[in-house]
Amino acid sequence: MIPESHFLILGAALFSIGVFGVFTRRNAIGILMSIELILNAANINLITFSKFSASPDGLGQIFALFVIAIAAASAVVGLCLVISIYRNSKTILVNKINLMKW
Amino acid sequence: MSGLIQLLNSHGIPQDFVIKAAFYFIAALTLLFALFVVLSRHIFRAAVYLAVVLTGIAAVYLFLDAEFLAVVQVLIYVGAIVVLFIFTVMLTADIDSGTFVGTLRRMSVAAVASLAIFFILFKVINMVTAWKTAVPAGASISLSQLGKSLMTGYALPFEVISLISLAALVGALVIGKAEKR
Amino acid sequence: MVNLAHLIPVFPFAAFVVNILFGRKVKKFSAIVSISASVISFCLSVYTLVCFLKGQGAYSLFNWLIFGGISLNIGVIVDPLTCMMLVVVTIIGTLIQIYSIGYMKGDARFSRFFAYMSLFMGSMLGLLLADNFVMLYIFWEGVGLCSYLLISFWFEKPSAAKAGMKAFITTRIGDTGLLIGIFILIFSAHTVYFSELGNLGTGPLFTAAALLIFCGAVGKSAQFPLHVWLPDAMEGPTPVSALIHAATMVAAGVYLVARCFVLFSAHGAALITVAYVGGITAFFAATIAVVNNDIKRILAYSTISQLGFMMMGLGVGGYSAGVFHLMTHAFFKALLFLCAGSVIHSIGTQDIQKMGGVFRKMKITGLSFVIASLAISGIPPFAGFWSKDEILSEILKNGHPFLFVLATVTSLLTAFYMFRLVFLVLFGKSRSEIHPHESPNVMTIPLGILAVFAIFIGLVGSPFMNNAFQNFIYPHEAEIMKPDYAVMGLSTLLAMLGIAVAYLLYMLNKNLLPQRVRQYFGPLYNLVYNKYYIDEIYDFLFIRPTMRLAKLAFKFDLGVIDGTVNGVARLTVILSKIAAWIDRYIVDGAVNMTAKIVGIFSLVLRRMQTGYIQTYLLIAFFGLVIIIFVKLIIGG
Repeated sequence: MIPESHFLILGAALFSIGVFGVFTRRNAIGILMSIELILNAANINLITFSKFSASPDGLGQIFALFVIAIAAASAVVGLCLVISIYRNSKTILVNKINLMKW
Repeated sequence: MSGLIQLLNSHGIPQDFVIKAAFYFIAALTLLFALFVVLSRHIFRAAVYLAVVLTGIAAVYLFLDAEFLAVVQVLIYVGAIVVLFIFTVMLTADIDSGTFVGTLRRMSVAAVASLAIFFILFKVINMVTAWKTAVPAGASISLSQLGKSLMTGYALPFEVISLISLAALVGALVIGKAEKR
Repeated sequence: MVNLAHLIPVFPFAAFVVNILFGRKVKKFSAIVSISASVISFCLSVYTLVCFLKGQGAYSLFNWLIFGGISLNIGVIVDPLTCMMLVVVTIIGTLIQIYSIGYMKGDARFSRFFAYMSLFMGSMLGLLLADNFVMLYIFWEGVGLCSYLLISFWFEKPSAAKAGMKAFITTRIGDTGLLIGIFILIFSAHTVYFSELGNLGTGPLFTAAALLIFCGAVGKSAQFPLHVWLPDAMEGPTPVSALIHAATMVAAGVYLVARCFVLFSAHGAALITVAYVGGITAFFAATIAVVNNDIKRILAYSTISQLGFMMMGLGVGGYSAGVFHLMTHAFFKALLFLCAGSVIHSIGTQDIQKMGGVFRKMKITGLSFVIASLAISGIPPFAGFWSKDEILSEILKNGHPFLFVLATVTSLLTAFYMFRLVFLVLFGKSRSEIHPHESPNVMTIPLGILAVFAIFIGLVGSPFMNNAFQNFIYPHEAEIMKPDYAVMGLSTLLAMLGIAVAYLLYMLNKNLLPQRVRQYFGPLYNLVYNKYYIDEIYDFLFIRPTMRLAKLAFKFDLGVIDGTVNGVARLTVILSKIAAWIDRYIVDGAVNMTAKIVGIFSLVLRRMQTGYIQTYLLIAFFGLVIIIFVKLIIGG
């Protein structure tokens, strides 16, 4: 069988790629996509632990379900914010949205 | 999957090898497309690549005996969220202005940061699991078991999640509503 | 009896939630919601006081979390200090809110104002009831947040928005000290409870902890050198100023020192620092108040000065004296601010040069103002006399002649500037086209109630009532306390002198002598008039260099971005430039090195000032990576 650590490393790699995306994407939608990658990496870990734990009670899977639900909600709100920012400033490049800078 | 495995067995190919080969292939593909997602210059293509990544992750869930989650993953992520992303990309007509990735300097700094975190995670995974090669898999969780525990032991979190979804729905409506002039 | 003390802050918080969520619906009723919450809190506070007198002590509600060997209980402290403060805060808070109905009438954000006021009250009451540093710190920040929200309540005015920011950032400097102090206590003594402060033992580490906690108090109570925010805080609505100055924000700092008094008194160095910081602040703020021309700013500086008095009282070891002054000051300072608000509300200016003769039209306000001024100046039998006198005799008793001189001069100045204000605002002829009229009843009734308190509240601590207050607040000390008639006489005399001088200058020779003073003591007058240039010094020392560096860094950043576009070419250019530099300037190398070093520093700083959220995130992430690395290496 495939060892547990390989799943975890897959998750870690996906997480790192997501982090890279969050830092480098200049587009707000791209940042949100990268965040989705990070959340999925976390889900892989949760399900792996759920499968390989000594007493598999499905807690990891339930948690992953909740994470998916939250991710959906955050994506909805995030994309809505992107649209309303776009409506106001005609751009979604984050380096042009620095209204909060003092 | 079982039908496929039987077919392979009848041709003398060991089942374990096939599963492993399939897993590593899917994992590699997922990571490759994940890199495309963060590196692609076109945001629309990135959204399509994201769909591939999320499907790949759903396949990975199959290897973890989480069939229900694999289905949920495809339904919600690929079916809903990616479509939402694509809609947003289309609604914001900024698609063609290029330069969606950062400068070279920022890219290299971010690469160092993410490689560092990957290295740390790798180290920790190594430390904790010590590359256990053959771990006895626990009994897989049936769908009815999952449903029961969602409705009994985890009923409160479940309700909270539904409240959050409702709040997100209302919030999205309020934010997205065209402003009164 | 049933423990109800923990419910005291709950009602204002509930009022906040109701007003912030349904403010648009309830509109006018938001005042009623807030005020009734305050009244309930007041009743519960009185009930708690009664419970305490019947022998009820502190209690804890439930275990919150366990960390680092500390099990943190959410608990409530019920002791004389807390009971007294609870009652004072709720009385004054309620009266100020009633007054606000009149003052804020017609404001577009009427219900939001009351929501913030309730939040402010709730935070302060929570702070008073907290029995450990963690809870205290949470509510402490809550109070800070509310002060920010309320000072910049009229955020359309740029000056108000700036003042709010200034208050928040300045107090934050002190808060950082407080936080580090709490960390020291947690790591070296494994405690966060006030009740365990007494048996910490000695050692320089705890002295440092006491000083750092005092830092927090310096920020909140606007002591020198972090006092700069308080005068600017006058940009907020006047009831807010009253609440901040009397009952909530600035009282929190003095309360903190009083709460940790056992810690301070175990470390002489910390205690004496408190005394001297207080003394210097008291004198220094009083001198500024003498020459200022804005009615609210004069009161603000007088608050800083009086807080200095309290710190001085605590610092010389006079626990009950400091706390007593905190209580009396709360009443008469609230009264002063509400009167000032009433005057401003009626004539629409804050410049005392333009006022005058207000008394004839505003009898109740004027009378209350005079009473409060008498109280703060220290004329017997008004409230301020007893507490100020007690601080003076404590200073003398504990042998601090320098502080005594400072304190007596300050009380002379206090009487002088207060009556300068009284004579210029209330009496004489009006100096511009103003048409004062008395404020509505909803504003004058709180004034009347507070005036009664300002007259009589001091008596509870006077020798005529056997120092009942002191016996209540700190039973050990009161036995050796006996009235010091010499000090009483001196302080009364000085107050009279101050009033007399003010009368001579501003009633008989109106505006003549100040001009002459200006001529003779021109430079000195300018120094004081400009608040000792402290704001300018801060601006010059900290703010402008940071801004300049940021600008420089930004330009540098642009250059580098352009540079990376044509990377290799630029690298060659740089290399050849370096080569040229080595060839040509090898002799002047040292001079150029200085410039290079500046360049390197700005290289670091420019990253902090880009304004791009991702850059900030990246830096934070790098910090996290470093922490984990260190942990991995140390933790093995």
